[in-house]
Amino acid sequence: MKRVGKPVFFIVLALILAFSYLSFFGVSSQVADTKQVYVKGVNDIRWGIDIRGGVDVVFTPPADTKATEEQMNAAEAVIKQRLVAQNITDHEIYTDYNNQRIIVRYPWKDEEQIQHAEDAVKELGATAELTFREGAEVDETTGAPTGTTESTIILTGADVKEATVQINTQTNEPGVSLELNDSGKDKFSEATTRLASSKGTISIWMDNTMISAPTVQTAITDGKASITGNFTVESAKALADKINGGALPFSLNVESFSTISPTLGMGARDAMILAMAIAFLLVAAYLIVFYRIPGLVASISLLAILAGSVAAVSGFLPFIPSFTLTLPGIAGIVLTIGIGADANIITAERIKEELRVGKTIDGAIDAGFSRAFSAILDGNVTVILVSIVLMGAFGPPSSIFAKILTPVFFMFGPSTAGSIYSFGYTLLVGVIMNLVFGVLCSRLMLKSLSKWGPFRKESLYRRVRNDQND
Amino acid sequence: MTKTIDFIGKRKIFFTIALCIIGVALICSFVFGVKMDVQFSGGTIATYSYTGDLSADEVKAAVKDAVGKESSIQEQQDASGNKNVVITVASKLNVDETAGLTKALQEKFADNSLEVMQMNTVDPTIGGEFLAKSLFALLLAAVLIIIYVAIRFRKIGGLSAGVMGVLTLCNDMLVVFAVFVIFRIPLNDNFIAVELMILGYSINDTIIIYDRIRENRRLLGPKVPIRELVNKSITQSFARSINTSVTTALAIGTVCVISLIFNISSIVTFAFPMLIGVAYGAFSSLCICGSLWVSWQEHKVKKVEKAKLENKKSKKK
Repeated sequence: MKRVGKPVFFIVLALILAFSYLSFFGVSSQVADTKQVYVKGVNDIRWGIDIRGGVDVVFTPPADTKATEEQMNAAEAVIKQRLVAQNITDHEIYTDYNNQRIIVRYPWKDEEQIQHAEDAVKELGATAELTFREGAEVDETTGAPTGTTESTIILTGADVKEATVQINTQTNEPGVSLELNDSGKDKFSEATTRLASSKGTISIWMDNTMISAPTVQTAITDGKASITGNFTVESAKALADKINGGALPFSLNVESFSTISPTLGMGARDAMILAMAIAFLLVAAYLIVFYRIPGLVASISLLAILAGSVAAVSGFLPFIPSFTLTLPGIAGIVLTIGIGADANIITAERIKEELRVGKTIDGAIDAGFSRAFSAILDGNVTVILVSIVLMGAFGPPSSIFAKILTPVFFMFGPSTAGSIYSFGYTLLVGVIMNLVFGVLCSRLMLKSLSKWGPFRKESLYRRVRNDQND
Repeated sequence: MTKTIDFIGKRKIFFTIALCIIGVALICSFVFGVKMDVQFSGGTIATYSYTGDLSADEVKAAVKDAVGKESSIQEQQDASGNKNVVITVASKLNVDETAGLTKALQEKFADNSLEVMQMNTVDPTIGGEFLAKSLFALLLAAVLIIIYVAIRFRKIGGLSAGVMGVLTLCNDMLVVFAVFVIFRIPLNDNFIAVELMILGYSINDTIIIYDRIRENRRLLGPKVPIRELVNKSITQSFARSINTSVTTALAIGTVCVISLIFNISSIVTFAFPMLIGVAYGAFSSLCICGSLWVSWQEHKVKKVEKAKLENKKSKKK
């Protein structure tokens, strides 16, 4: 490395401190209720379900149904629509075609929801088939349609172009107004014309529940229908959303289901962040005590690695998208502190040795860094290998790592363990940061610092014994 | 460092320790039984927070009434006094049953303000599949590491270095397994993550030593007996090995202690075995791996000598 000037240390130090500040605290401005984030900090990190609380469901079509790929795709699309309609934009859906599974994961918006988790899940997996049937014949016991009502279906959800909430101007009652598409318009027109003369009924069903059974007054040819009844604005909207979302090709069964309360998770997250801070301080203290100047430099590098890991997760860096951070993910960052220290220890030990052999300070530092690098690289490559396997095995099937490892994992379906995926990611990021910062920053800082007179004492780099017969 | 410590000479002691650990692990798994978390075995775990007092037997009876299944009950309390009751049912419950269970329990124990903290129900097929995939991931990682070490250290007998390295790793992984079994921690995705982590981390120490051996081989020449070469290499790497293990242990140890205080069981069962794994990994890299490799190389040399001797004998005939 060419000559490194004295001020370099302070430049690097300043850059690291600035980067750390930005990475942890971000830059944002608050105007009344809206927060404009310019630079993402720790508060903007997307936390995993195990921290924020949420639901993790695995749906399958009924046991006797063999779903085609199209049907699975249609089902996935419908579920997505349903989630979006409920304003749950932060969700994950994976479809496993081989094993006929749809995995859905989304966070809770508030604590209340977890108490009714099962209802929400059932809603998500309900077929939600809207039907307009002739007559209103119902089986007394089951409530299911019978007779003509069962056999004659006038319209289905597929005939509906759009459903909107509509408040009746005269009665102020909410209802759902439907606009039918061309095929629906014709069918509806035909049926209403036929039934208007006998004042027949058309019953409206959602799956196997009748929601309304109005009498046909006149023929309706404009393709507009409305559903009225005992609706509140919320229930009308829910119905409209359901209709707009479309029907699932089959009803979905819940194969496995997991829900966690936010209180449990948030407390854990704060504890882990505390652990991260303490671990950093302990390791820095240890490094400085045992390795003095190189130890100090190491600690500053560790800060950079930490900031880098946080930045990579929060989406601070424009080329690295934000990533969900779970509890094991935080553990991965803490572990990186330990591994990051390793690289610096290897170098410091090497420098010690070179000094012992009799090299000058400058020579020892140079030799130390270059000789240590191959060992550092080796050690970190194995951790990279492991983190790739972790990510491929425990991540979504669409991730790059899963794709790389598909030839190996093809016989297994996508797993449901999202939280370990985050661990693999923070490990990988941490190691890469280590290779970049741990080596480069340390090198720059140490070489620069060693140029200063008072820092050229050998005792600051290693323990110099009086009997020098090593 | 003035003196070269004779690690290889003491190898019998080290091997005994390693074998004892393996023995303990196996015996414990038979005696205690290996518990699998619902993630692997399938089943249901429901965690409710509550106030006041609850009798485990009453809860068990209530569960039986609600869903007609046997359950095991566990009560937990964290440092701030929050109480949780964990109900484990061996079979999977569907959404109606879990909702029904919650409702029934909340009604029966109305005074205890039960609230759902966590509900987890897994179908056994998914569970089994997940277990198989995880074990496969372990195998894959191990193979990748053997290949990597073999390539990097081909100059000093790469394949044997790789194999001995992985054997030592297996020893380390068994230690982690033993921790799970002895402390009755159910095996879950944390277990797999810790094992994978130990795989990737422990091999580091070993690689450092191999790196040293390779360098010393170059410096000291091929005539130096292997035992001395390895001893010297390990001695030189000693300080570095211990220190890196200490820093990693400090990091994980902090996580472990904090999560114990705050009663985050999912992290304790992750950090504590990892801590033990890292500590033991340091020991095994220094004392066991090198010794194994020396034993192997010496055995190879002996075989060659024996073959030469036989050759001579047959030639004489």
